[in-house]
Amino acid sequence: MLLILFPFIFMVLLSLSSSWRFPEVFPGYFGFKNWVTLLGSEAGLLQSFIISIVISLSVGIVSTFSGFLISRAVFYHKKKRILTLFAYFPYVLAPVVFGACLSFFFLKMGLFGNVTGVIVAQFLIAFPYALIFFGSFWNKKIKSYEDLVATLGGTSQQTFFKVLFPLAKSMLLICFFQTFLISWFEYGLTSIIGVGKVQTLTIKVFLFIKEANYYYGALSCCLLIFPPVVLLYFNKRYVFKNLI
Amino acid sequence: MFLEVHNIIKSFNNEHVVRDLNFTLDAHKTLSILGKSGCGKTTMLKIIAGLVKPDSGSISLKSKNITSARPEQRNIVYLYQEDLLFPHLNAFENIAFGLRLKKTRDPQIKEKVNHMIDSLELNGQASKMPTQLSGGQRQRVSFGRAIITNPSLLLLDEPFGSLDAGTRQRMQSLFKKLTKEFDITSLFVTHDLKEAVLMGDEIGFMRAGRLQVYKEKQDFINDPETGVQEEIEYWKGLSSPNPSQGGKL
Repeated sequence: MLLILFPFIFMVLLSLSSSWRFPEVFPGYFGFKNWVTLLGSEAGLLQSFIISIVISLSVGIVSTFSGFLISRAVFYHKKKRILTLFAYFPYVLAPVVFGACLSFFFLKMGLFGNVTGVIVAQFLIAFPYALIFFGSFWNKKIKSYEDLVATLGGTSQQTFFKVLFPLAKSMLLICFFQTFLISWFEYGLTSIIGVGKVQTLTIKVFLFIKEANYYYGALSCCLLIFPPVVLLYFNKRYVFKNLI
Repeated sequence: MFLEVHNIIKSFNNEHVVRDLNFTLDAHKTLSILGKSGCGKTTMLKIIAGLVKPDSGSISLKSKNITSARPEQRNIVYLYQEDLLFPHLNAFENIAFGLRLKKTRDPQIKEKVNHMIDSLELNGQASKMPTQLSGGQRQRVSFGRAIITNPSLLLLDEPFGSLDAGTRQRMQSLFKKLTKEFDITSLFVTHDLKEAVLMGDEIGFMRAGRLQVYKEKQDFINDPETGVQEEIEYWKGLSSPNPSQGGKL
């Protein structure tokens, strides 16, 4: 247990330290100086945190709902196997190669180096995941539910809101968490499409580590793991509890 | 006639599943349809419900052509062998489902559902979730959900197929009671000979996509194709004291 927790505890300690050089046992400074400096200053860590939240929430919400709706269309399509196969395409390539392939189109559409471009690029990774994820939801029984609602007089809108969304509630939440995390930790595509102008928290962490600034790196890592920990808590508290 | 089905044909991948389907049904009557698995019974019901498009032919309900009407516009409820209760709703809300779709007011819903629960002999079960109900209770909730919307026609696709013998018998009696109480017109598909005779005012026999309707039960019993005579002989043989005289025991 201690071995598992040690890296996380050490990361928090590191984020609160400065001037900690070998062979000194304790750091030269221990306190909230790094946090105050970074969150309110030129490093723009708070801004990166907010940009990351906006990007990941957008990617998570849009890819979850579009994945759910389009996976239904794929399930009822005559060529669903081929269409599902296409969904694996983004994962065949490394994100950096995929980003390089897309860069021409992003340049033409004016999506290079802005938040919208990064959201679209990350959506192209997260959406196929959602599509594959929801592939297992649709089956003959769900079709029977849809037919039943139709014969009871329900419109397709009512079918979605009164039956399909409630039935898929847990899966929708899990998919949202997963796509949020895919976006949150995405580095390769973001660095290519964002061209350094869109500095998400993940990009910032890599920058600090490249600069060998471990104290700031640890601090941004703390911020980086904060939303996943919150999501993990909600997952455990509200989703998995209902699945069992 | 209340329901008129004319020359319905349906093929899947060049295989004729339903051929020249022709029959009529009076209001408040039940037509039992007997047939083996894969003879086209389910496809026929789905065509009438509007869930499958026929290749040709026409369907009229209350003298109105509904062949191209969408399922939600037909007021025909299709009941599966599986009860298909919504797992996120309790028994009360499952029964109330169709009324909520029609945006019926809450006091009316409460009154109708409580009356239905009473008719279905489900008192005390209203707040239970589907997983807390027995197979028979689930099937009764499923009936209630269909009947409460006052459908013009009820299509039942082997509704008691998954129930044990005792529950099945009780459900048959309950269904007979409900058809009288709520003036239900229905098509009752089954592969059980006894059930077909018990439940139907008229009986149809479906074979290889063709349906023959017998207006009189005796005609159905006398037709050697239906297998009733064979069944009678079998039971006679069982009750015969001397196995050498046809006894099977």
